Amino acid sequence: MQQIPSVAERLDRALEQMGAGARPAVAAATAGLDEDGRALVELADRVRSAHLMPAVAPRFEARLGARLSDAATPRDAMAWALRHPGRLIVTGAVGSAVGVGVTAYAVWRSSRRTHSGRILHR
Amino acid sequence: MTDLPAPRAVPTVDPDRDDVRAAQADRAAFGALYRRYLDRVYGYAFYLLGDHHDAEDATERTFLAALGAIERFRDEGATFRSWLFTIAHNQIANALRSRARRRTAPLDGVPEPVADVDPGREAGAAEDARRVRSALAELSEDRRQVVVLRFVDGLSAREIGAVLGRSEGAVRVLQHRALRELSGILGVED
Repeated sequence: MQQIPSVAERLDRALEQMGAGARPAVAAATAGLDEDGRALVELADRVRSAHLMPAVAPRFEARLGARLSDAATPRDAMAWALRHPGRLIVTGAVGSAVGVGVTAYAVWRSSRRTHSGRILHR
Repeated sequence: MTDLPAPRAVPTVDPDRDDVRAAQADRAAFGALYRRYLDRVYGYAFYLLGDHHDAEDATERTFLAALGAIERFRDEGATFRSWLFTIAHNQIANALRSRARRRTAPLDGVPEPVADVDPGREAGAAEDARRVRSALAELSEDRRQVVVLRFVDGLSAREIGAVLGRSEGAVRVLQHRALRELSGILGVED
């Protein structure tokens, strides 16, 4: 058996339709609302008209845009690490390990080059 | 019984999906989402906090938090905008908590509806808008949240449920009760 939608559900459908551009009376009728429900849809239209989107101050928009742009840059990784000591330790440890690895590789390469050079010069 | 139309399907694909993925790959691409949602997040904060300065503060915190966590966002059931408004909701709740007293003064700097070229009717529309906003301020916070998210930001009941941590059905009931209460405050003769 099909369950009859509650008034709250039908009201929601009417509001969806109104949001999509239907006039309040049409939206209420299509959603199967009675006179009381229709009055609520019309009230919802008044509420919407009373709450126009306030204008964002251009200076605020520009300032926040600049902050976001700044935060999106790679140097933000350091700020991320600096905010928490634990992250700083991890970042330092990873950085040190990479540094030690690179140095060891460079020394190894250099010693091989020297060794092979000696062989060639013999 | 009236033949009811089928309920509108909630889109399973997030309309912001491509922009979210771009921002996850390169945070510099977050700008598109910022431009799309700045007005709406600001409007949500403004109508609940009632002050441009506090609204700017909550909006700034919301977008900085969203950018910081964008890599962790997964579109599993929730759309990007419901996730973003959840962050905004938390920022607004923090702002309200930190206030010593709740603001009851009427909102300043609200754009008034321009309904007609007739100055008399325009003044009437502005007066009606002030009455409606004043009535809204009398509702409980959860009912005001539902009304603002629905009528200012255009979120669906499902998305509002995700923001407020309630079921879709609970949001519909809250919405119904909020409108009935507003109707009672404003008077039936309206």
